[in-house]
Amino acid sequence: MSEAGPPPLAFEAVPLGALALASAVRRASDPAALFSLQVAAHETVVLLGDETSGVDRLGALALGLDTTPGAGRALVFGTEIAALSRVRQLAFRRRIGYLPAGDGLLQNLSLRDNIRLPLRFGSDFHSDEIEGRVNVILAQLRLKAVASLRPAAATEEERRRAALGRALAFDPELVVLEQPFDGLPERTAAELLEVARGGEVAEGGRRALFITGQALPALLRPRVERLLRVGALAELART
Amino acid sequence: MLGVLAGLGRSTTRRFSAIGGPARFAFQAVTALPSLPGAGRRVALRVLLNQLRFTALQAVPLVVLLSGVLSFIVILLTRRQLGDIGGEIIGTLMVVSIVRLLGPLLTALAVVGRSGTAITAELATNTVLGEIRALEGMGIDPFHYLVLPRLAGSVVSVTLLLVLFDGVALLAGYLATSVTQASGGRYLANVLAALTTSDVVLSVVKGVLFGGIVGLLPSYHGLRVTRGPTEIPQAVTRGTVASIALIFITAALLMFLFRA
Repeated sequence: MSEAGPPPLAFEAVPLGALALASAVRRASDPAALFSLQVAAHETVVLLGDETSGVDRLGALALGLDTTPGAGRALVFGTEIAALSRVRQLAFRRRIGYLPAGDGLLQNLSLRDNIRLPLRFGSDFHSDEIEGRVNVILAQLRLKAVASLRPAAATEEERRRAALGRALAFDPELVVLEQPFDGLPERTAAELLEVARGGEVAEGGRRALFITGQALPALLRPRVERLLRVGALAELART
Repeated sequence: MLGVLAGLGRSTTRRFSAIGGPARFAFQAVTALPSLPGAGRRVALRVLLNQLRFTALQAVPLVVLLSGVLSFIVILLTRRQLGDIGGEIIGTLMVVSIVRLLGPLLTALAVVGRSGTAITAELATNTVLGEIRALEGMGIDPFHYLVLPRLAGSVVSVTLLLVLFDGVALLAGYLATSVTQASGGRYLANVLAALTTSDVVLSVVKGVLFGGIVGLLPSYHGLRVTRGPTEIPQAVTRGTVASIALIFITAALLMFLFRA
């Protein structure tokens, strides 16, 4: 079945090395190298690169959070979020699930409230519907027993699960994950990847996933459609 | 010569930027209000109520203590320096010294010390831990969720606490004069004669302006942190010093404008 409409995510002529140069790290190997990539619907794409590669800035670029001049273009469902007005940017981002590096959970809220926050703030759902949805996410990510904990009292794995739950709160078609599996056991990483994909359909995952990081556990490699590594930008695997 | 001019230019730009940054931040905060989504209003209201509990309710004992002690000092000094004449004019003196000047200033300073520092530290920590970026990433404007409730909470809190401060001070003056020279009635008459409508209006204006300063400047400095946890104490210092300085400048300007 062919997909109509623009791809969930596309990067066009992004100077990855320049992105890295714009950050605190100033050791990019080739600032002039331009990077383009499309993430199709139902596809899981993993992009690996070390901290000097600029890969860690792509998530922010996709969501329009990074507006460095000359940083290239990122299109989400055909729209460049950074070019929208601030109000429309915020509304548009609710269509995307985003798990930032370091989880970004609000420390003064419980894990449950962290997952509930985007729904309560950005949707007109009835409170019962929100509670129902949050409970499903908590059960799916096996967080029910620790849902009342603040992030500081939870383990790293529980925090990562909660951050993923928050990213999936709106059941988005596209999920952007930054270093989601760092420090996690392989089996946990595989479980979270499956939850993020939202189940399987004939074309692949139910959702499109764009994952950045420094490494991918071996157990996950067969489960991603494309695994790319910045540097040589060599395509390492395609299943 | 060119180097000197360039240095002067850099210094001037830096100074204007120190004013322009907070001004732009205040403008962004105010213009963000209309775009607060309907569902977000309920969440922001809950944050606002929390802010009021911390900034206003929990500050009541401190404000009562400050006001009581200040009144005691003013009355004591007046009686000691002016004797019986002091007793006659104590009501007028309380209005002039406390309602018009010290009450608003000390209330604002107390709120800066308690809540302004907390706001800067909290928002700076939010920034360092990547929570601000995460909020923006899930479509929540930090102005809606963090800044506006704190701004509104500070404005309401400072205004209410200022009224409380003045009320406690005038009441303490009444009690003191009643106990020492049984002239509570004359004290009240003096207070009412000295207290004008413009005093009341100016007190509310000061409450709103000082509250706005306490809500905005600490938020601005908290959200400007970029380098890491070591910058948090510096941000708290910057936010506190800037707030105190602007409160004094605003008080002086108001005094000049309304008494000229």
